[in-house]
Amino acid sequence: MTRHLTGLLLILGGTLAIPAAAQYQRETLASTAAKAPNPNPMPRTADGRVDLSGTWQAGGVSINGEPGAPPLHPLPPAPVRPPARERIPYQDWAAARQKTFTVLDDPTSKCLLPGVPRIVGMPMPMEIVQTPKEVIILYESFRAWRRIPLDENLKHPDDLTPTWMGDSVGRWEGDTLVVDVTGFNDKTWLSGLGSIHTEKLHVLERYKPINYDTLLYEATVEDPGSLTKPWVTGSVLRRPIDVRIEEYECIENNPDNEHIQKAMEQQKRAGQK
Amino acid sequence: MRIQLLAAVAIFVLLAAVVPVWAHHSFAAEYDGKELITLKGVISKVEWTNPHTYIYLDVKDASGKVTSWALEGYPPNTLKRTGFPRDILKIGDEVTATAYKSRDGSNTGAGREITFADGTKKFLGPVGN
Repeated sequence: MTRHLTGLLLILGGTLAIPAAAQYQRETLASTAAKAPNPNPMPRTADGRVDLSGTWQAGGVSINGEPGAPPLHPLPPAPVRPPARERIPYQDWAAARQKTFTVLDDPTSKCLLPGVPRIVGMPMPMEIVQTPKEVIILYESFRAWRRIPLDENLKHPDDLTPTWMGDSVGRWEGDTLVVDVTGFNDKTWLSGLGSIHTEKLHVLERYKPINYDTLLYEATVEDPGSLTKPWVTGSVLRRPIDVRIEEYECIENNPDNEHIQKAMEQQKRAGQK
Repeated sequence: MRIQLLAAVAIFVLLAAVVPVWAHHSFAAEYDGKELITLKGVISKVEWTNPHTYIYLDVKDASGKVTSWALEGYPPNTLKRTGFPRDILKIGDEVTATAYKSRDGSNTGAGREITFADGTKKFLGPVGN
């Protein structure tokens, strides 16, 4: 029974992962009611650099709408799709360990920071603040923020202590912002249920402007401690209309894990009868 | 054209079922996304809180017994961005809501849609999966 329950929870927990292709199609369908593509060019700074400053969002009903009901402010269709969804290429020990988790173990269910790249796919907006020397990303979800100093050599400080969001450093490659992230703890999940990693995690992110409304986000995830090869994931970030990031105090009223625990115990009892 | 539209809706519903609906926890582990119930009751309390809102309804059965139901909904910011302002919920108003019942056996549900006395409908939370 326990095995069945674990199996069920694995399937259920898998819904936390973002199926990128599905998300793209959903956006496209939701956008059928949208206006023509936005003719605005991508903004540029005084020195000609592309300017990513502004509010961006990877998904969620506020920009995608509900099944059969368009969002309040429909966006033009995204002209690009995210990288194809890949299974995380785990080493044997990590694949075995992944199966031991339930949804109750998900750090974000306790309102803990999601880490990178998971935070980028959250269905809430984030704000990019670009300056000549650094890029700041403020996330509505989980009160997260990242400071990304710009450095041609992508050099991290020498005194890093492992953290939930890691240490970021970036550089421009043409119009694409490339961000190197390392210095992670081993407490976050990469994507779906039990998607663990070690402190050797290293993420290379690329934020590529496609048009005024659209950034293509790609992350190459390396972890010689748990993966057999690099894992590529990503999403399409849209510029939501008339949206600013606002407060999200996740721990305020969070009884869900208690409910899930009770539901699991009841299902277990039902299985023993 | 009609068939295309129906196909698009069908695909949309299918995809909606696999796209994560909550930012921070599993919907399916907590609620039975296949069982949509309808509750008619009076709003007794509103928690405009994160990570989810809760609307409490006093629901009277045929014998006159009143049961309190708690319906979980999208976070406040999501409701606001989908055109669902906080002040539309008034204590004492009678409303009809649909919800996916909790798996823990309590009078708790994941709210889906709420219909107000004047016929206005708003989505409270995601479609079940």
